[in-house]
Order: sequence, then C-alpha cells, then structure tokens
Amino acid sequence: MATLHVLSHSPFADNRLASCLRLLGKDDGLLLTGDAVYALLNADLAHLQGRVYALEEDVRARSIDADAQLVDYPGFVQLSIDFDKVNTWL
Amino acid sequence: MAKSLLIISRQAPWSGPGPREALDIALAGGAFDLPLGMLFLDDGVFQLLAGQAPDQVQQKDLTANLQALPMFGVDELFVAASSLRERGLGSTALNLEAEVLEDDALAALVDRFDQVMTL
Repeated sequence: MATLHVLSHSPFADNRLASCLRLLGKDDGLLLTGDAVYALLNADLAHLQGRVYALEEDVRARSIDADAQLVDYPGFVQLSIDFDKVNTWL
Repeated sequence: MAKSLLIISRQAPWSGPGPREALDIALAGGAFDLPLGMLFLDDGVFQLLAGQAPDQVQQKDLTANLQALPMFGVDELFVAASSLRERGLGSTALNLEAEVLEDDALAALVDRFDQVMTL
C-alpha cells in the first residue's frame, strides 16, 4: 500500500517534512508543491532518489535547482493514480 | 468491506480548527462503523495532556470527545513516541489510552490503512 505524500509548506518554516520523513515507507513517494519545493535546496532528500517529485511550475517560479522528477498537473494526477493512496499534509 | 482510514492529528489543541475537525471525522466515521485509526503526531500529542483548562482561553474541551472515541468504536489510537520525547512528555501524562509507537513502527502503521489523512 504505497503512499504518495504531498507537501506544500516550506520545510524551513515548520516540521511537516521532518515528520513525513519519519513515517515514510520504503515504497512511498514524496511530491513537493508550493513552498515545499524549497526542500530541494537541502540534501536531506538525497537518500530518496527516484521517489521525490516536484511540481515544475512551483520549482521554476522559485528559481530552484531541482534534483527531483518534475511533473506538471497531469503528472500530479497520474502520480495520484499510480500510488495506492495519497496523504496530503494540510 | 469499508475502506479503513487513518487520521493523523498533528496540531496543538487550540491552534485552529484542525484538531477538532480531525476528531469530528473520527467520531462521525466511528458512528457509521468505519474502520478508523488515529495517530497523534507532533504538536497533536498536546491534545492528550491531562489537566487542560480550555475555559481559561474561551475554548471548548476536546478531552471529553477524545475519551468518547473508544465508545464510538475508534479504539485504534496511537501516539508517536518521538513526539512525546521531543516535548518532554511521558505517556503517563496523557489522559487517553493509546499505543505509543516508535518511529520505525509508523511507516507500517500508515501502510496498513487503505486511506490516510493528515490534519
């Protein structure tokens, strides 16, 4: 039951990302949107290679040098389908 | 078979509508016999502290609703051990019977449910 975890808050302002990483399963994916894409500036995600996705427009808008798989909104939808469930960190 | 749902509640009791909404979802789901679990994570563990006085800040008590969870059939209740430790709390300070889980058990917990929601 792989989970896609969706984050939209900056990891430098709160601890959603830290908590998410704590309970992230080995088959789970991480989709960064909005200010959560700032997490790509931090090397903490290096061990998740291949499982980190980011919304391309949010990355470009913020001038982030992304080491993640960039997706557009149709890609977002496809990911939501590909994973068994989606957990949005509101 | 109804889909099981894990509700992760991670906000302090008076921080906004999140904690009460998470609880309302759990109680409503429990009333309809949905297979539900609740995990208290991060500041969410503060909801479980014994001895709160919500009237001091013109708020309603969450404790009575929390303690109603088992009566509504929601008895899969969990607390993150690391969240308690970070805040200097022991499980004896809590007024809800809940299983304290270490980080390595959290991923398995999330995995076990059909759906998960974080408030």
